Amino acid sequence: MTALSLMDRRTLIERAAWLLGAAAVPGEALARVARGTARGARRFLTPARLTLLSAVADTIIPQTDTPGALGAHVPAKFDALLLNWASPQRKVELVGALTKINDAAMAQEKKGFAALTPDQRKALLTPYDIAALKSVPDTRGLKGMVAMMAGPAVADPGYAKLRELIILLYYYSEEALTTELVYEHSPGGWTPSVKVTPETRNTGGLGMF
Amino acid sequence: MFDAIVVGSGMSGGMSAKELCERGLKVLVIERGRNMVHGESYTDGLRPWEVPNAGMVPEEDLARHYKIQKDSFITAPTQQYWVKDDENPYETPVGKPFAWIRGYHLGGRSIMWGRQSYRLSAQDFEANATDGHGSDWPIRYDDLAPWYSHVEKFIGVAGSKEGLPQLPDGEFLPAFGLNDGELMFKAGVEKAFPTRKVIPGRTANLSVAQPHHEELGRTSCQARSLCDRGCSYGAYHSSLSSSLPAAERTGNLTIITDQIVHSVIHDPKTGKVTGVRTIDQNTRAGKTFEAKVVFLNASTIGTAQILLNSKSEAMPRGLANGSDMVGRNLMDHLFALSVAGIFPGGPQDSFYHGRRPNGLYIPRFRNVTEAGDGFVRGYGYQGGVSRMGWRAGMGQPGIGAELKARARKLGPWFSYISGFGEMLPNPDNRVTLSPTKKDQWGIPVVEVNCQHGPNERAMSKQILEDGQAMMKAAGGIVISVAKEPGDPGLAIHEMGTACMGKDPKTSVLNKYNQAHEVPNLFITDGAAMASSGCQNPSLTYMALSARAAHHASEFLKAGTI
Repeated sequence: MTALSLMDRRTLIERAAWLLGAAAVPGEALARVARGTARGARRFLTPARLTLLSAVADTIIPQTDTPGALGAHVPAKFDALLLNWASPQRKVELVGALTKINDAAMAQEKKGFAALTPDQRKALLTPYDIAALKSVPDTRGLKGMVAMMAGPAVADPGYAKLRELIILLYYYSEEALTTELVYEHSPGGWTPSVKVTPETRNTGGLGMF
Repeated sequence: MFDAIVVGSGMSGGMSAKELCERGLKVLVIERGRNMVHGESYTDGLRPWEVPNAGMVPEEDLARHYKIQKDSFITAPTQQYWVKDDENPYETPVGKPFAWIRGYHLGGRSIMWGRQSYRLSAQDFEANATDGHGSDWPIRYDDLAPWYSHVEKFIGVAGSKEGLPQLPDGEFLPAFGLNDGELMFKAGVEKAFPTRKVIPGRTANLSVAQPHHEELGRTSCQARSLCDRGCSYGAYHSSLSSSLPAAERTGNLTIITDQIVHSVIHDPKTGKVTGVRTIDQNTRAGKTFEAKVVFLNASTIGTAQILLNSKSEAMPRGLANGSDMVGRNLMDHLFALSVAGIFPGGPQDSFYHGRRPNGLYIPRFRNVTEAGDGFVRGYGYQGGVSRMGWRAGMGQPGIGAELKARARKLGPWFSYISGFGEMLPNPDNRVTLSPTKKDQWGIPVVEVNCQHGPNERAMSKQILEDGQAMMKAAGGIVISVAKEPGDPGLAIHEMGTACMGKDPKTSVLNKYNQAHEVPNLFITDGAAMASSGCQNPSLTYMALSARAAHHASEFLKAGTI
């Protein structure tokens, strides 16, 4: 039995919609995606929080002419990070950041963030993002190379970390590295000067540049 | 009994073993860590999406096991190479941190090294005599020059000949060329500061593998820049890819792993060492190995620890330590003195292909062609200029399709340069053994007492000022400047704890890297360095190792040791 034959009709319609370039995924479908991506796997987030995470990830990196965060399975990977990478403090920070976004939606729209339409989600998260990433005086006491690499201190470090991880997981994914960016595991050699053309895309990978 | 025991299998131990084996000696290499197999043990095959946890080491692991190593270059795919600090403790005084960055496994830090390979200059070998700091080197540049050549040919160093006295040229493979952003940077800096040079870094990556490299199974660099995971192509020099296989093919090499050298055995009747005592890191069983010659290549601090722990009635302060210089003069390079900038006027129509395992280098100019302001010695810079990739602006607000569009667009040219400054030999910067604390193998733990002094502080200030001036001269807008150097140790260039010198009263080793007091004991790792220069030191360790191996085998043949 193939994976395809296991899909129900609605799943097929949703996936077809993505392929046709739907900008973002409606709430009901988000819950389905969240359930589907985590099915059978050990997970950290509750289904409701995974749905919320999916909504946030889909709003930050939607499907365009290339897969978005959902197409790159970012929610499931994020959940795995919470299980396998994050410290207890980090888990609290990241879940807290998700909760704050949901609280903002409740306060503004009287609905949870995942229940909003894609347009409503974007309208809410755009100013939220600007306010959260506003630079503030640095009181972190970082030293040396760590200080240089850390970037500026921002108003809402929890949201900044949530956003950073969603973006990292997306751009490290096979989907992003084969559509949005270019990744060659073995370029074969160094060519120091190449003319930029309209087809030139940024290169990706785990390194800085 | 072996002809020679080499303690440690890293950069210098691998070279010592190779050179001794090639001279017909039966050699035992003793490695304290676990076995590693070239290729098999590496993680360089993992694509970005296959690397666990987006390349990040679990935060609780970092906090629990890697309190010191976390400040270095540890990532998920390289985690296996770094020691767990909680299992390998050492002590530092309050307010004097020292980062001892280590890898305990076959090949040691030669697997994780930065591969930058520069010769010390005539000026460097004369520095201690000139300004009175440290013990005068018992050799000069001309003594080591042929050994630099010997090692460069073997390991393969890509670089450009520049004719600079402060950074002698070597036996180079073709350089990894500067990109167009770097050529712009070079033109700007050299126009504004005519005696400063911006050159391609000199790196032990095979830009073009030669037949003698291919004989060892090594091939040309594929520009993957995954070097820190180990290279299955053998495209950079490491003990695993290069020196140990060369030693092995002689039929003269025996390697044992998981054996921690507790001490070196000294026979007071003959004045010579007879071998080493080891402890199995897993079973704790003790063993003794005997040889006619012992080479200590356990790394600067490890070698000092072994010497100090090899006390005897004849040598109550530790082996070869009549001078009380063992453990003293610990140096590292000033590190993390970085300046970053962007270049709005950079060549917008230019990019590059491949991930070059290297960058640019700015050789020392202070106290060479330009005076230093209140300090002796000098510094060079390493860095690069590249186009900011998809990460450019990721910290800036913006979500949705516009964020994706931003990530697709080639970013501006970005540069960082980071100064590596010479630290003076200072006998008060030292390694001693704890009188009370022992590690899990019953060996006294090391206490490291080391700090930067007035010369280093004055130099640090000028490194940052010069870095900003060069960034601006090249048309850059400075966006970030370090405030202070990283803690000593973070450059991972520790050296000096059993220094070479002319006078047995103020040094441990003579001009052959032979202990003044013990004729069949040789030390050729970083411990031997009488001064640090500002150049990355591994090439010098290897040249000293090859040279000392030559002399040791000659002395053995002549029956003088």
